[in-house]
Amino acid sequence: MIQVQAVQPERTAESSVVFSVRDLNVFYGEFRAVRDASFDINENEITAFIGPSGCGKTTVLRCLNRMNDFIESARVEGKVQYHGVDLYDPQINSNEVRRRIGMVFQKPNPFPKSIFENVAYGAKLSGRFSKTEINEVVENALRQAALWDEVKDRLKASALGLSGGQQQRLCIARCIAVKPDVILMDEPCSALDPIATARIEDLMQEIKKDFSIIIVTHNMQQAARVSDRTAFFTTEINPESDRRTGVLVEIDSTRKIFSMPSDERTELYVTGRFG
Amino acid sequence: MDEIRKNYHKHLDEIRQELVRISARVTESIPKATNVLLDQDLNAAEAMIVADDEIDARSVEVEDNCIRVLALQAPVAGDLRQVVAALKISAELERTADLVVNICKAARRIYGHELDPKLRGLVLKMSEQARALMSEATSAYLDLDAARAAAIDDMDSFLDDLQRQFIQAIFESHAAARIDLQVAIQMAVVARFYERIGDHAVNVGEKVRYVVTGWLPEHTGAARHHERVSKDPTPIGLPKADEA
Repeated sequence: MIQVQAVQPERTAESSVVFSVRDLNVFYGEFRAVRDASFDINENEITAFIGPSGCGKTTVLRCLNRMNDFIESARVEGKVQYHGVDLYDPQINSNEVRRRIGMVFQKPNPFPKSIFENVAYGAKLSGRFSKTEINEVVENALRQAALWDEVKDRLKASALGLSGGQQQRLCIARCIAVKPDVILMDEPCSALDPIATARIEDLMQEIKKDFSIIIVTHNMQQAARVSDRTAFFTTEINPESDRRTGVLVEIDSTRKIFSMPSDERTELYVTGRFG
Repeated sequence: MDEIRKNYHKHLDEIRQELVRISARVTESIPKATNVLLDQDLNAAEAMIVADDEIDARSVEVEDNCIRVLALQAPVAGDLRQVVAALKISAELERTADLVVNICKAARRIYGHELDPKLRGLVLKMSEQARALMSEATSAYLDLDAARAAAIDDMDSFLDDLQRQFIQAIFESHAAARIDLQVAIQMAVVARFYERIGDHAVNVGEKVRYVVTGWLPEHTGAARHHERVSKDPTPIGLPKADEA
């Protein structure tokens, strides 16, 4: 059985690419949700996916850790390579994929357990750590998620008692605790107030040296603030069926996308001339 | 799909339209100032000096509006380039208007002294060329015409030539004792004012190109600096460690 972890990427210029995606098409039954997306995601960078509703940005994100496996009718075509390994190879262990490529969702979704248990859960499940080691893993993850100082005196308290922003950082800590390589974030701040949002954005800058991050956001200013590279997706309307298919318009440095985008459609979207 | 930030974009357009109006006004004031100078019309000089306060006020207002857009609307892409260019063009126009005022002030200083016909002719030519440059810059900005804006730089060399001819003519007049030293110096400075107006027109043209294409002028000094630094990272003016 091929394990993803069998691949040890070398730190060369070429292997700084985490994901190499070519001609990605995603179908839900007969309906094509995303058409022919090709792009690379670089290591230790924050990549933002932006675009109007229905442009397929979340669908593409979910392809990167095989979350679409859980949707019966979903079908993925094209190549999704993770450090040169085909993610959709039938022999790949999809649980291992999701350990290495973690996900943080729009609404904070802590387990109805203690703060400690939330973070320790994944580490315990892996069975790789002793009890003392797990304490260490939890502390480190909470420190990395900039939550430790706020919760260190109440680790046994229920995670549901935390504020929304704290819960979201807890979810990030839970994700970090299993030592992933990539963190996918699907609108991680849309349920949070501006202060909590700023904390998460700041945290992203802190942790990007250890992880590659991809964030889907509706907030263009957030993409401009936090990301190194930005991918703009839009929708194409099929005149016959009137259904919308997502397409990747361009991916480039965030600075370029927000100062001098190459494609007219990007310019119109980021300046609010269409939406 | 529908435009979704109509008011904001209308506001951006208004900023540019106001700058175009200021620019047209400054352009018209160039030949007026030249008439003031050649006719030595001190009343008109005074009126023009006072009128400059309005240009100052209007450019301050434009800058205020730009800052408001930056603070409140977070402009990006083409919109960002519009606002950044408007801030800079506003400064160019304000400075150009000051040069026009300086020409009017020179009229006071040479009052009572006749200029010989050759000098008068060259002043008119420099004035017309400076006006034409500002007029081109104004039109290029109004239409956001990058090609027209790019041509202004070439036109400017003609004005530079006229200025050199003018300085030469002053030397000749002075040698022939047809002009006072004091007046000669005043007029040399005036020639410089026209030449600077041309430079400001070129700068406006560069900003128009930036709005349209994102192009930034190749600052030759900056390019030389980068080349020097890439060869020798020692800061200029400081001796190297082994020389110290």
